Amino acid sequence: MKSDDRPLADPMLVLREEFDDWAILFDPDTGDSFGVNPVSVFIFKHLDGRNTLDDIMHKLSVECEDAPDDAEQYVAEFIDSLVQKGFAGFEQ
Amino acid sequence: MKDEGNIRVMKSPKTVELSITNRCNLRCIYCAHFTSDGDQGSDLSTAEWLKFFVELNRSAVLDVTISGGEPFMRDDLRELIDGIVRNRMRFSILSNGTLITDEMAAYLASTGRCDYVQVSIDGSYSGPHDAFRNNGSFDLVVAGLKHLQAHHLRVNVRVTIHRHNVQNLDAIARFLLEDLNLPGFSTNAASYAGLCRSYADEVQLTVDDRSQAMETLLRLNKQYNGRISASAGPLAEAKHWLEMEDARTENRAKLPNCGSLRSCGGVFSGMAVRADGIMLPCSQMPHIELGRINQDHLVDVWLTHPEFKRLRERRAILLEDFDFCRQCDYIPYCRGNCPALAYNILGEENHPSPDACLKRFLEAGGRLPTNNGQLIIDN
Ligand code: SF4
Ligand code: SF4
Repeated sequence: MKSDDRPLADPMLVLREEFDDWAILFDPDTGDSFGVNPVSVFIFKHLDGRNTLDDIMHKLSVECEDAPDDAEQYVAEFIDSLVQKGFAGFEQ
Repeated sequence: MKDEGNIRVMKSPKTVELSITNRCNLRCIYCAHFTSDGDQGSDLSTAEWLKFFVELNRSAVLDVTISGGEPFMRDDLRELIDGIVRNRMRFSILSNGTLITDEMAAYLASTGRCDYVQVSIDGSYSGPHDAFRNNGSFDLVVAGLKHLQAHHLRVNVRVTIHRHNVQNLDAIARFLLEDLNLPGFSTNAASYAGLCRSYADEVQLTVDDRSQAMETLLRLNKQYNGRISASAGPLAEAKHWLEMEDARTENRAKLPNCGSLRSCGGVFSGMAVRADGIMLPCSQMPHIELGRINQDHLVDVWLTHPEFKRLRERRAILLEDFDFCRQCDYIPYCRGNCPALAYNILGEENHPSPDACLKRFLEAGGRLPTNNGQLIIDN
């Protein structure tokens, strides 16, 4: 994934926030769901096809002052995992 | 998250039961719907339901259970289900099974969102099934079930145990699990709600029937490798009561989540809507009116309605504080059971339900299931 790619989440996915800012991502077509931590929730909310990877990184560092050193890698890996599951793609 | 003491409440319900119609083509005499507070006036329009589905979507509700009355009575059922699908939810349907055509089953399968269809079969042949339902309904429901199977939909058969089929349980299990080759089925018992209240003496299990049903169902469940399930009725009671009796004889300090009115988890994960659009904490408590859809906000009702709070906080009410439970040896092992049942019998939700009370069952001459004179602890 390149830093100027603009990831876009599948609009059919449901992000359901439950306790302590954790959430589940639910695919209504399969019924599959999996838990996501607060950082991933933040990232997911920015997968709108307008924000680039760099934009998301920047916003995350503003929002989360003690973002870990490997935050960029974390963001990229999380988005990759969504793409692999078919839950996200890239806006052209 | 909202913290009510140590009670954590999700931001919105995960699941909502929608009673989409008040009408039914049958009139089963133990129907929990007719004559209950859920039996209200006319049905909502298509447009009102579709508008509400948008709010369910916005609130991240994941699935709905479509019930009634009989959901297949609605001519606009496909339009409603299309609305559910469009709004990113899955669905299941609770039906008497008699109106399901091949075409309808094909449509349900084509949505890819149907978790299951529950149909009611109460006998291995028409006699015990039709006894309290309409004549001819057994053949219709079996035909409906076969349409669902032909389209590879998950079918959950619910057997309601009553006085006319309690002797037929072996044959019912054989019919459902061997002849129809279902992966499993679930059971409950005709309970004191709706129409059943007027026919309780004809329909509801006697203490002897219950003792026998518990023993038979445990035996059948073992024989069929756990393919029979229950969240209420004799099988569920057999399992919980044996656990309670075992804990008592071993003099254990406590069983997990027992000693107070903790049985109902439903109000932490879901809610319901009556056919007239009134929101409820649970379809079994249609007398508790929380607001109206498309007028009151679902999430506000869910998070702030005092009745929801009251029902959620009932788990802090200790059984030892009830005269009803005074000097009962089972207090540390008991959960007090369903509040809806307690309300139907006593007019009060925050009370142990007398119908599911082990102490009273034994005092009335009830027997826990045994095998060669030994309690069946390993169930
Ligand atoms: S009131 Fe009874 S039926 Fe309703 S959710 Fe609670 S335990 Fe279940
Ligand atoms: S009296 Fe009944 S409801 Fe109360 S603790 Fe004993 S068994 Fe449970």
